[in-house]
Amino acid sequence: MSPRVAVVGVGQSKQAKQREVTIAALVRESVGRALSDAQLEFGQIDAIVLSKTPDLFDGVMQPELYLADALGARNLPVTRVFTGGSVGGHAAIHGTHLVTSGLANRVLVVGYSKESEGNFTWALSRPLPFNVSLGAGAGGHFAPVIRDYIRRSGAPEHIGWQVAVNHRLNALRNPYAHLHLPDITVDKVRASPMLWDPVRFLESCPTSDGSAAIVVTGEDEATRISAATGRPPAWVHGSAWRTETGHFAGRDEVNPRAGVECAAETYAQAGIADPVRELDAAELYIPFSWYEPIWLENIGLAETGRGWEMTDQGRTAADGDFPVNPSGGVLSGNPTGATGLVRFAEAAQQVRGLAGEHQVDRARRVIGHAMGGASQFHAMWVVGADKP
Amino acid sequence: MREVGIVAFAQSRCLAANRRDDMADILAPVIASAVAEAGLERGDIDFFCSGSHDFYEGRTFAYIESLDTVGAWPPISESHVEMDAAWAAHEAWTWLQLGEGEVALVYGIGRGSLAADLDQVMPAMLDPYYLTPLRPHRHALAGLQARALLDAGAIGEPDLAATVAASLAAARENEFAQRSGVHSVEDLLAAPYVSAPLRELDIAPIGDAAAVLILAAGDRARELCARPVWVRGIDHRMDTHYPGNRDLTRADTVTIAAGRAAELAGFSAAEVDVAELHTEYSHVQPLLANALGLGARTTVNPSGGPLAGNPATATGLIRIGEAAARIREGSADRALAHATSGPALQQNLICLLEGAA
Amino acid sequence: MSIELPEPVRTIEAPFAMDYTYVAGVGRSLCLRGMARKLFLARTCPRCRMVYFPAPEQCARCLAPLGEPVELPGTGEIHTFCVVNFPFPGQLYQPPYVVAHINLDGTGTTLMQRIMEIEPDQVALGLAVEPVWVPDNELEPSLASVRYFRPRDPALRSPLPDNESGAHA
Repeated sequence: MSPRVAVVGVGQSKQAKQREVTIAALVRESVGRALSDAQLEFGQIDAIVLSKTPDLFDGVMQPELYLADALGARNLPVTRVFTGGSVGGHAAIHGTHLVTSGLANRVLVVGYSKESEGNFTWALSRPLPFNVSLGAGAGGHFAPVIRDYIRRSGAPEHIGWQVAVNHRLNALRNPYAHLHLPDITVDKVRASPMLWDPVRFLESCPTSDGSAAIVVTGEDEATRISAATGRPPAWVHGSAWRTETGHFAGRDEVNPRAGVECAAETYAQAGIADPVRELDAAELYIPFSWYEPIWLENIGLAETGRGWEMTDQGRTAADGDFPVNPSGGVLSGNPTGATGLVRFAEAAQQVRGLAGEHQVDRARRVIGHAMGGASQFHAMWVVGADKP
Repeated sequence: MREVGIVAFAQSRCLAANRRDDMADILAPVIASAVAEAGLERGDIDFFCSGSHDFYEGRTFAYIESLDTVGAWPPISESHVEMDAAWAAHEAWTWLQLGEGEVALVYGIGRGSLAADLDQVMPAMLDPYYLTPLRPHRHALAGLQARALLDAGAIGEPDLAATVAASLAAARENEFAQRSGVHSVEDLLAAPYVSAPLRELDIAPIGDAAAVLILAAGDRARELCARPVWVRGIDHRMDTHYPGNRDLTRADTVTIAAGRAAELAGFSAAEVDVAELHTEYSHVQPLLANALGLGARTTVNPSGGPLAGNPATATGLIRIGEAAARIREGSADRALAHATSGPALQQNLICLLEGAA
Repeated sequence: MSIELPEPVRTIEAPFAMDYTYVAGVGRSLCLRGMARKLFLARTCPRCRMVYFPAPEQCARCLAPLGEPVELPGTGEIHTFCVVNFPFPGQLYQPPYVVAHINLDGTGTTLMQRIMEIEPDQVALGLAVEPVWVPDNELEPSLASVRYFRPRDPALRSPLPDNESGAHA
């Protein structure tokens, strides 16, 4: 059996447009909080993994170089992982690999985005060579997939509105969330402007600045740290990543096989046969509200075509039996380079019992999930309060 | 650590500007060649890891195109570093330590030629508030470092020329090299400066190429290859960024990485027969040799090194492949590969390799 | 000694201008050259028989080099779509407009393109569509040589909005 690995420190910044701090200061905020949570000093970290979105977004090439001091990285190994939107998940998993392999005892995994720093629109609208420029924007890619899901599942249109309400209400209990919309209702979502039909404004994620950091250690160190801090670790029960090619004949983007297989591998490692019963909550990468039922089905929490019923029955709301995105999720804050890591970190905070006001009762095992590209890149972990 | 060996390596010829092939087309034959060399099929590969950078490609998420060449269907276990692919080799080696699979394929794509002017691009690698707005010429920091070494009396300009002459002469035997030839030190010293004290041939040329390395664990490596090259130790270390806060005449992170790699390997950098160093500038070769404690027994850059071909983010991975090739062909038993990233050797990776045993 | 600190610098301008040469590659060049001649040139995987447009050099599933180009009619049907309803910076067209994934007849791949000459609320899944090319003197080796797709059935068509009636800017 592989050595046990745990998350012993978590730090986040407020997710919002942050023009008062430099990139380095934004990163340092989360790093400092994660180290302080674990009661570690910079000198005690053995390796660093950095997660961020494409460098053209904020205009700094290989920012791990410039950020060396902010990360406390001098004389340490630093790896800059990049796999699109799933990168935060990939980075966290690579961090666990460094520990499992025996290469490091204490790994710092850091993610950030500071898109207000650069011209995000410019980076995204740079013409892709040899493709026709449609000017459809980010949602222009996902909206047709959502339409396809709705057609296949026959889900009623209010599902998307309900997800948007649930996640935004959850965000009110998360001080780090970008959007706090206390007055949100299904009617307001329905009345919000249609951006990419069938996706409405309030069913879409914002663009945020923000950072997140976690400290990952092996079993002995996790036990020592939690005894010293009085804060329990989150044990990694299973993790996996999977990638599939973007364009080939017959690809199913509504239910991508890479996501199915990523989840199956994670559950197998965690010894989980019936995920929705055996797990207590999930932090899923849901940038548009309809991705709640889409991912519930894709990662085996609901039967194909019936994920929306979980939403409809209130099961995924904060007071349901399987809360999804108790933090408010991507719909409430989206520092893209950190977004995946935030999902993984929020899952850890739930099982540590440290999620504050958005703590899910009796959360013993929780999913962290990230997705990138045209649903081509998938990363997932299951963390637990008990040792695996 | 679990034994992990290099069982195949392939690269494409480094071209000053490949205007025929896109990323996938450059990579496809190189993957096919490495996979065939190892006698594998794609389905035998358990993990893929790659390195490249969007700023060389001029678009976001460029590496996604290479996945069509890998054939990520059925879905694969895969990761990528937005760095030199030598770091992807480190990630793949780490992954193989988990015991979840036996074979990993690492690839690097580097295209320096797509940017119309790398001087527009490379300043973006610096501190965005203090340094990038100064827009230093892309060789300016290297020139400062070379100057610091000269001023410290560590080297003289003839040493730079001697390194260039040796590299380009060695590259005549390397069919993948972009630059090669016989040059006298006198002729080299007569050339004009580009970024004093560096001259044109002191600086690695811009080029396009891909490289593929296949790693396998323990007995699987022995099955696939008559003489696997064991990765006995690998480590990498980051220095502080701001060049003014560093002593540019030293490369301490090279020494630290080499020390850690030696702990894992059971032998040190000083004991290798061949060293392939990521020398994008001639002046860093004596600096690296000194930081590594290389002596007369070690042949440096028998491939010609990056001064003979420098395909951006594939350059470091090629060092590992070239060092391993010397062991596989029997001209070395132990070898070292070095890769670097960032201005003036800010980040360094050391890999110690050994044949047989 | 104390120094009174000035107000912090809130922003600095550091604009980039980066120019690149993009290389189309052998497979893509074939398809793009077809576009300049109003031809949809697809290629078939000799192993799994999947037909690709636009075609890479090798099958993304089998990795087999794709076969000789075959001409497609260029018609297709809408697999799925969305309506872009709002303006955003860098936008090329006046909203609302329809962006669809089109199943091109004879292929197994979808092509993303605009659907015009129909009111957005009339667009439906499965709608049969055909390409509308730019004027001959504007044809280029580019997918943009197709201005948009429109309903094949003339009865379903409506006039282009005024701002689209000429060649777009």
